Amino acid sequence: MSAIAGTASRGQARRRRIDGWRWSGRIFLVFILLYTALPMIWMLITSIKSGFAAMQFPPQWWPDQPTLASYQKLLDPQNSVGQDFLRFFWNSLFVSTATTILSVIVAVPAAYAFSRFTFPGRNFLFFAVLLRNMFPAVIFLVPLFILMRAIGLVNTHGSLILTYLTFGLPLAIWLLKGFYDNIPVQLEQAARIDGATRFQAFVLIVMPLSAPGIIATAIYSFIGAWNEYIYAYTFLSKNEQLTLPVGIQRFFSENTTDFPGLMAASFMMSVPVVVLFLVLQRYFVRALTEGAVKH
Amino acid sequence: MTILTGKAEAHRRLQSDKSGMLRKIWSHRADYAYVLPAIVVMLIVIAYPVYYTIELSFFNTPPGLQLRDKIFTGLDNYTAILKSPVFWKVTSNTLIWTLASTLIAFVLGFACALALHRDFAGRGILRAILIIPWVISAVAASYIWKWIYHSDFGIIGAVLVGLGLADRPPNFIDSVSTVLPSLIVVNIWREFPFAMIMMMAGLQTVPDQLLRAAKVDGANAWQRFCHVTFPHLRNVSTVTILLLAVANFNSFIIPWIMTGGGPSNASHIWITHIYELAFGRQRWGVASAYSVLLFMIVMSLGYFYVRALSGNERKDGSV
Repeated sequence: MSAIAGTASRGQARRRRIDGWRWSGRIFLVFILLYTALPMIWMLITSIKSGFAAMQFPPQWWPDQPTLASYQKLLDPQNSVGQDFLRFFWNSLFVSTATTILSVIVAVPAAYAFSRFTFPGRNFLFFAVLLRNMFPAVIFLVPLFILMRAIGLVNTHGSLILTYLTFGLPLAIWLLKGFYDNIPVQLEQAARIDGATRFQAFVLIVMPLSAPGIIATAIYSFIGAWNEYIYAYTFLSKNEQLTLPVGIQRFFSENTTDFPGLMAASFMMSVPVVVLFLVLQRYFVRALTEGAVKH
Repeated sequence: MTILTGKAEAHRRLQSDKSGMLRKIWSHRADYAYVLPAIVVMLIVIAYPVYYTIELSFFNTPPGLQLRDKIFTGLDNYTAILKSPVFWKVTSNTLIWTLASTLIAFVLGFACALALHRDFAGRGILRAILIIPWVISAVAASYIWKWIYHSDFGIIGAVLVGLGLADRPPNFIDSVSTVLPSLIVVNIWREFPFAMIMMMAGLQTVPDQLLRAAKVDGANAWQRFCHVTFPHLRNVSTVTILLLAVANFNSFIIPWIMTGGGPSNASHIWITHIYELAFGRQRWGVASAYSVLLFMIVMSLGYFYVRALSGNERKDGSV
């Protein structure tokens, strides 16, 4: 009897302690959610204020007269602000898409080779590729600037696509290698026995199976290129060439008080990548961790 | 496939015992074709710049990059750097920035991963929201926080005044003492989701049986965490911390956009300082010397990164 009561009370005590952990976890999550979400909510609220309403103390927690004027201004092709913004948007879209397509084309065969073949120097090359990830952009900035000037690419989107390609490649190769490692070799062997060449086996068997990996790599390259700032800031100086991050920075260093406009522009700049991420987040999260975590 | 090539290779080795490195490379010549495009692109845009940076660091270069007129000065650029007081200020800023950002982002991310590990209603949505700061551009993040910290109309200042904690809104990013911590808060806001994603994936690999066995043996939640969960996550943690550290060490956008390194160098870190030296003051030689030093530091971090990763591989191979 007493023994049963003892275990019961011990069970209760344990349950209470676990609940304590769970509650502290919940409270922590609420705090972290506020930390994450409040800045973004404040961005949205500011973006629907008028310039006058934004510059008040104490601030209007919710605008007296919400207005979409900032968004209309940014998206209106008749307006000079809108013209610039839409051009920056288009430039970003073009550079990011071109970078994405080229990275996938170059990274797919390389990742496949690193995953399947055992040629001499394989490990060395692979780690050399990985280490590139760790180099700060600044090391490359001066020489690349000189190189781009020498081959006449300064002030062109080509300079950005070429640089984004190289800084995106190591990650792309690493992500894809993780996916190829998980595709059984036996599938290709079976295809080879059925008379396919190694290349056919690669294109017809492996490529379709690695589609999730390719999607993830593509999102990754796209987001990286879309958000890149330092090379674009250095290589481009003509207004009509700028990508969004640099364009927004240049525009608002001239109009320092237009905070609703700035917040609206920040929001619009974030929409494509956030949507892309939310739609494809399963691939994205899996790819990122594939190389670091072994299942 | 590996098996096939392995067999062929063994066969060839039987035929001629002196199969040297060259022959081995030759026999794999087709394999290199797959890697070649990647290697060529990287040679142009990586090997050449690295070589060029090292070369420039020994020269005194005139402004405007008229490189025909550069003058060889030996190690002068390096000694100039080590003698300047700005160097030590920037280095201590960089250390504080990197260590604080990395550790706090890792701890927050790990805690989120643990709290989100158990399934509950709305978990997927919550996770997606928490990752968003990491996806959006650092430029957008910098502007959002610059507005939040604004010395006249910033929301934090307004809240502090409203609660009676301050007489007037504090100057977060215009004052020497608060600027670096304020920027670190922004940086952590952007980076903890990365740690969270990595650690969530890591947590999924912790075997459930072990946790249940520990529970049966009477281990409480804290003991289970210390003796079962955490040891399993050692490799993921190492990789995550190293990647965060390198990213923080190399960060540029947040300090550059929010403060440009000011006030009076209080938020200059290495990268922003190098950028200003090169493209602001056109002192290409000194900037290159800085870059070479930076390169050596990052490479030594890279050594640990590779070791942690190949530790993973080796364990994987033996299983």
